[in-house]
Amino acid sequence: MKQLAVRLFDPLLDGLANIGRTGLFLLGLLTALPRGLTYPRELLRQLWFVGAKSLIIIMISGLFVGMVLSLQLYYTLSIFGGTSALGTVIALSLYRELGPVVTALLFAGRAGTAITAEVGLMRATDQLSAMEMMAVDPMAFVASPRFLAGVIAMPLLVAVFNLMGIFGGHLIGVTWLGIDNGTFWSNMTSNVGVWKDVINGEWKALVFGVFISLIAVYQGYTAPPTSEGVANATTRTVVSSSIAILALDFVMTAFLM
Amino acid sequence: MPAPNPSSVDSAAAPLVRVRGLTTVLSGQKVFDALDLDIERGKITAVMGPSGTGKTTLLKHITGQMHAAAGTVLVDGQDVARLPREGLYTLRERIGYLFQNSALLSDYDVFENVAFPLRQHTRLQEDLIRNVVLTKLQAVGLRGAARLMPSELSGGMARRVALARAIVFDPMLILYDEPFVGLDPIALNQVLKLIRTLNRELGITSVLVAHEFAAVREAADHVHLIANGKLVASGTPGELAKGDSPWTAQFFGGALEGPVPFQYPAPPLAPAFGFSGARS
Ligand SMILES: Nc1ncnc2c1ncn2[C@@H]1O[C@H](COP(=O)(O)OP(=O)(O)OP(=O)(O)O)[C@@H](O)[C@H]1O
Ligand SMILES: [Mg+2]
Repeated sequence: MKQLAVRLFDPLLDGLANIGRTGLFLLGLLTALPRGLTYPRELLRQLWFVGAKSLIIIMISGLFVGMVLSLQLYYTLSIFGGTSALGTVIALSLYRELGPVVTALLFAGRAGTAITAEVGLMRATDQLSAMEMMAVDPMAFVASPRFLAGVIAMPLLVAVFNLMGIFGGHLIGVTWLGIDNGTFWSNMTSNVGVWKDVINGEWKALVFGVFISLIAVYQGYTAPPTSEGVANATTRTVVSSSIAILALDFVMTAFLM
Repeated sequence: MPAPNPSSVDSAAAPLVRVRGLTTVLSGQKVFDALDLDIERGKITAVMGPSGTGKTTLLKHITGQMHAAAGTVLVDGQDVARLPREGLYTLRERIGYLFQNSALLSDYDVFENVAFPLRQHTRLQEDLIRNVVLTKLQAVGLRGAARLMPSELSGGMARRVALARAIVFDPMLILYDEPFVGLDPIALNQVLKLIRTLNRELGITSVLVAHEFAAVREAADHVHLIANGKLVASGTPGELAKGDSPWTAQFFGGALEGPVPFQYPAPPLAPAFGFSGARS
């Protein structure tokens, strides 16, 4: 009986301990951040690495999500005879929900894993120790720029995703399903609020960016110095990020929007 | 320089590194058991001992990468474990460390790897950096490889690049962790010569962890033999080669039996293989 309880609660306690350790790591990261800013070239390199290189996958995904939204919502709206609202519904779904969440999930898979694997390998091959030996703090030189780049890149990527989504939705709605171009745009622009919808969506993006980057850097930084350790850390980055994204999304939607 | 040097009175004569009562426990094994040893200034001191005896661990203590359960490590009069981060980093800028596995930064090419410490801690002009880096690369025979990435180097080449990086600042102390492994005889002699030159001409105190006694004999002024967490023998290479004690006799004579255990500590063999000892 006790065995069973231990088996059930162990992962739970493990998870809690992990959250605690990640929090402590965040404190260390924030302390190192000002020193990390003295390496602007690293930050630019990482922005290129996590941001620019995620652009293609984000654009393609945004386009397809917008196109599917258009088809699905047109069908739903046509039941109520409200297909003229198509532009509004597509934009609201994207800005308030799908843009931040889908981008974040893609970002965790594309950039988060890359960060974890890279930092984990640097740990495994003693590169982080070598930096310490050369009197360079890897928290400032390696962890901070990667963390910051992720935080900066996420809101920008979400904006790109949303634009591509609306473009895709317009493509299907206006050129294929035959909705009037003027109706599509005027309906959308009069019902989508900049603060209420667009900016709130970007807040989500920022928070997701913080969590994904934190988890990715932490997992890489603390990965056991073996190939198995790095592989497991990469998996954990995807799993933890995805759960964090979906849970935070619910909390933020419920209380902020 | 931070903090007045406590041993400045006799700093010229005092050992550069002074280890006292060092006790370290790693994954349940006692690696060091009240270890005492000194590294003399301006000398090449070799640290030898069976694999897994804690040679790398000792270097990590000297550079403050690892903390002991008990005991002190003084480097240039400063207690490494007590130094705040700033002080530790200032000290490390004066120490070159050659990692057992080179540990080159995979993001940068050979040139940038060697230039890394300079770029981090100085504001030198680009052409000056270039001169220093190419001089060091020339010294290890790899000036032509300056634009290769670490993944394009052989193990021996990577070691020499790491060596160039470790000496780029002309440090007061260099710690070489097995610099000869994987080098062909020519490269080995070059590295050996380089270690000697750095010591003789620049007066850099050197700690040489190595298994190659022939090389150690040529370069080292002094040899410490560590086994079972203790300093079991210490002297000039010539003295140790005579093999007066059972430790040196086994280690340098290469005898299979002796006080130095070949096995990592383990429970008795028979039960491990499933024999219950007495078979009636
Ligand atoms: N990070 C660590 N965690 C736990 N145990 C460790 C760690 N590093 C080393 N050890 C243990 O400490 C002992 C000494 O290791 P160390 O790497 O210092 O040996 P070494 O003398 O350098 O050996 P080699 O000649 O093979 O390089 C070993 O028994 C090893 O198992
Ligand atoms: Mg070693």
